[in-house]
Amino acid sequence: MLRRFFGQPKRRMADIMKIEKLLFVTKFEELGFDAVRSLLSLTKADLNHVVFINVIERDRFAMSRVGYRKDEEIRLREAANIRFIDWSEHLFEQGLEVGVYIVVGTLVSEVIKAAHKEETDLIVIGRSHKGVLEHLYSGSDVTELLRRAATPVLLYKHLSETAISIEKPFDRPLLAIDWSPASLRAVEYLKGLGDVVSEVSLVHVASDKDLKGTSAMEIQKTRKETRQKLEEICTLFETEGIDARAHVYIGDPDDEIEKAARDCQATMIVLGSSAKPAWVEKWLGSTPRKYAEESIYPTLLIPPVKK
Amino acid sequence: MGKTVLVVDDDPDVRLFSVTVLEEHGYTPLEAANGEEGLKMIKENKPDLIILDVLMPRQSGIRLYRELKTDKSLKNIPVIILSGIAKKTFLRSQKALTEFGGKEVPEPKIYLEKPVEPEVLAEVIEKALS
Repeated sequence: MLRRFFGQPKRRMADIMKIEKLLFVTKFEELGFDAVRSLLSLTKADLNHVVFINVIERDRFAMSRVGYRKDEEIRLREAANIRFIDWSEHLFEQGLEVGVYIVVGTLVSEVIKAAHKEETDLIVIGRSHKGVLEHLYSGSDVTELLRRAATPVLLYKHLSETAISIEKPFDRPLLAIDWSPASLRAVEYLKGLGDVVSEVSLVHVASDKDLKGTSAMEIQKTRKETRQKLEEICTLFETEGIDARAHVYIGDPDDEIEKAARDCQATMIVLGSSAKPAWVEKWLGSTPRKYAEESIYPTLLIPPVKK
Repeated sequence: MGKTVLVVDDDPDVRLFSVTVLEEHGYTPLEAANGEEGLKMIKENKPDLIILDVLMPRQSGIRLYRELKTDKSLKNIPVIILSGIAKKTFLRSQKALTEFGGKEVPEPKIYLEKPVEPEVLAEVIEKALS
């Protein structure tokens, strides 16, 4: 515990990914203090600072005929402030550092601004509740955030939406590996959480066309090679004191990762986020986006290193 | 010129309120919007008194208070805590940080919970500076 507060360098070395400071984005209706509590296991690793942000979107107090609704803005600000004071008191008493932003503006821009200002290591946000058509035509805040954020983003799912227990989301993550730089970066990220993660399930989903050859022997060879590559990553985790198991699934990643999470009793899905351009994401979709917005599991998305 | 008082608070309305009270009573106010900015200004200006909020971005008043009270050159500057956070929480937080290996720090002499009446603030400022 001591290293959390004293004797640490202010900024970590660039090659070590740690979660010392998280930014918790809430509109209160989708994410509450139960979600904050479930993340406190991260204090066993390096978490020592929680920053709350509530963005009051301008349409909440649209201009009336008499002008700018300052009174409504004050009311919304104070409602958020009262809630944050209550949450902060709980965290302060545990020795954590706490900060708060209550701002009027556009959600994604304000979150990115605060994450940059505070140099946070993780952004936690709830799932948006837009319908399918809205997603298609306007995109979602989540997609926009994933595209713009340089730090990992945890898409939290509200307890009422999921049948699984998420008391400790980092306890048994399932890491989907597609060998992309972002998914390999996710390995580094989880490796730094040895005191929090008890077991990592590593899964690679091979598509039917990846199974080269026509004989059973050739197909088994492909499986064996993939498995060996995963086992090498398992060894990396094991040297950090984290149990790890390798799994190969066949089919469409959009379905198989969720199945693997269920089979492994995972508490979270971890994916490298896509580096596809925004318009490709919007019209063709991507696996990370699909899990972020549709999976019942909390989904941690690790971005590729931004150039 | 009156004594210098630094107000550290992220809420511009609270800063305006405190600065107005200070000016009306002949003090010279300085302002900072968070703990980090506050510490920099304290080191540069060595104010006679600090009015400190607790819940702020970048660095909270809890950490800033701890830094002040463990710094030989700054520990004698009187501090008034003016916050929505309860005094009990402030004290428990300091206790937790001491237990995690930090130095013990004294209790703040004056702790006011927001909101506060202007005459009450003026009175405690005078008391703290006397």
